[in-house]
Amino acid sequence: MNRSLLLILLGMLPFSLFAQLERNLANPNQQVELIFHAPRHINLLTVEPLSKKSMHFAIMHTFGTLDGGIQNLFGLDNGANIQFSFEFGLSEKFSLAASRSSRDKVYNVFGRYHIFQQTQNGSKPFSLSVAGGGGVNTSKYDFLPEPAPNFSERMSYFGQVMLARKFSPKISFQLTPMLAYFTDPRPVYQIEGTDNLYVALGFSGKLKITERSSLALQFIPNLNTDLRSNFGIGWDVEAGGHVFQMYFVTSQALNEQYLLAGGNGTIGDEFRLGFNVNRIFATGQKRKKY
Amino acid sequence: MKRLLFILYFITTVAQAQTFITESGYVNFLSKASLNEFNGESDKLNGLIDLDKNLLDFYVDLNTLETGIGLRDKHMRDNYLETDKYPFAEFTGKMKTIPTLSTGSKSSVTAIGTFKIHGVERQIEVKGTLSKNAKGELELEGGFNVLLSDYNIEIPKLVFYELAEKQEVTFKALFKPKN
Repeated sequence: MNRSLLLILLGMLPFSLFAQLERNLANPNQQVELIFHAPRHINLLTVEPLSKKSMHFAIMHTFGTLDGGIQNLFGLDNGANIQFSFEFGLSEKFSLAASRSSRDKVYNVFGRYHIFQQTQNGSKPFSLSVAGGGGVNTSKYDFLPEPAPNFSERMSYFGQVMLARKFSPKISFQLTPMLAYFTDPRPVYQIEGTDNLYVALGFSGKLKITERSSLALQFIPNLNTDLRSNFGIGWDVEAGGHVFQMYFVTSQALNEQYLLAGGNGTIGDEFRLGFNVNRIFATGQKRKKY
Repeated sequence: MKRLLFILYFITTVAQAQTFITESGYVNFLSKASLNEFNGESDKLNGLIDLDKNLLDFYVDLNTLETGIGLRDKHMRDNYLETDKYPFAEFTGKMKTIPTLSTGSKSSVTAIGTFKIHGVERQIEVKGTLSKNAKGELELEGGFNVLLSDYNIEIPKLVFYELAEKQEVTFKALFKPKN
């Protein structure tokens, strides 16, 4: 009697205990997103991926040095280096980009690949991406007494690894070991370095101040030359689909090769004003179901 | 005594057949602001209907909501819903009256209960229709409005014209008997 009673009660148990559904995440390895506001952070590329079929358009400017004062409107009169950059997301992991920088009229082509991304449950503690590409200097050198450089002598290349982590909702940090190679670094090029190879370590930091704006930091010490280190400090503002980035930086260079070889002013004295506008365009948007 | 228990056992087993669940319900929200209208959807609505106990329990992982623009999804998760802290939208409640369901006919139902999103709980009333198909499955459709300010979701002035304060939520799901 007792045993059968127990069995019967056990049989009823699951239904009497059963109440609400257990809450389960659809994807337990949910990615950490928006480690940085945009695929660019001051001058450096970030681990921030593009969605498939979306395009990232960036207009970047850096002006003359601030030390000219109000006479030169803090460098704005001295002419800007402007870079237009278009990056297309071919998949969730890979994007391809082309850019054109007015300094030495350099056309650059590069790719960015996201190996893995930081997850909310910590199964991946950081995001890891790589980027690399090359560019050609298209300035005219007719004025030179010697023959102008040929196509291959105008080439430069870069490669970098990006390792980033969002430490808290407010603080993100990226480490970027990078190198650049110039096949023929001539003095007439607008770079300060005379070496072929440049090795550097980039540091990028983001400190979120309000829900939609952050303090941005950039520090890129050169490791194999005695060129000055690059330093930048800025303010990122997110406005819908745009990210505006205003900053002070020590170099006028905007592409990776020139950032490493281009030389830098002294921190503070020879700061330049810089300004990026980032816009993400989405194509292949779903049609409404109404 | 023994006979009574067997009867009880039988009743609880029957009650089991009065429980219906889904893991793939469809849920949609529509944002109609003056300058921009967009919707977001997920087909990962989890739900439970227990007709015996009159228990309704639903949740959706907000990370599965998609608006068709990847960056907008990221902003939605990061800036508005804060899905890392509050991953689910949940509703637990009951029907005001349990309709008698006959195959093929739709009955209007009103549910009252607790809706929780962004860490804020509120009592709400949801209107919908419930019907039973030939396979013995339940079909539930309905909708309700969510005022973002009720749930401490702030709309910044910059995007005031692009994101509506009132979000129109609709859902539709097919519930299979739980066995």
